[in-house]
Amino acid sequence: MANAGNEVVFKKETVAKLLTRSFKEDKTKVSSDAGDAVAEMLKVFVEEATRRAVKQADSEDCDTVDIEHFEKILPQLLLDF
Amino acid sequence: MDEDEAQKQRLKAAVHYTVGRLCQDIAADCEKQITKQTIAAIAETAFRQCDVFAKDLEAFARHAKRHTVTVDDVKLTARRTTALYNYIQQKSEELALNNQELKKEKRKKNAAKRKSKDMEAEGENELED
Repeated sequence: MANAGNEVVFKKETVAKLLTRSFKEDKTKVSSDAGDAVAEMLKVFVEEATRRAVKQADSEDCDTVDIEHFEKILPQLLLDF
Repeated sequence: MDEDEAQKQRLKAAVHYTVGRLCQDIAADCEKQITKQTIAAIAETAFRQCDVFAKDLEAFARHAKRHTVTVDDVKLTARRTTALYNYIQQKSEELALNNQELKKEKRKKNAAKRKSKDMEAEGENELED
């Protein structure tokens, strides 16, 4: 991809808050490295979703990726994750 | 409950912002346009997927009789697709190396700071003599 310096990532703080709000127990915490790893998982998720939707749009000869393209690839995406 | 809802909206907005940037970068890379609606849908899906991850992670940590989620737990969530598992494995090793190097650099800097402080103190003593 483009410059490593301008890489878009999920903020560590955001990831941490997202996880802790879904935990059932108050005691559960996330290690710093695990937070980084989850941020990476989310980034891959979004990238996969987008690239698959783009491919779908491509296969239908569309220049614009529309929500229906995303809808078509969504089931397999969720199964793969 | 309102505070909770407000925090949820803030988090959703934060996710939406990052997702938007990621989507635009990729779409540009593939020379395609992407609608705002699609970006919003991807952001919402990512937000919900995070909930799924969190519940899995908590269950894995609990199973290992821990209260803290570790990188091994995260690797488990990637088990369904081999390519994804290998990627996360590789990335976590890189991150671990990075963190080690950052720690080394920090120690060097602190050591250097202490040295220069000591030298300054010595220098002052000499002047006094």
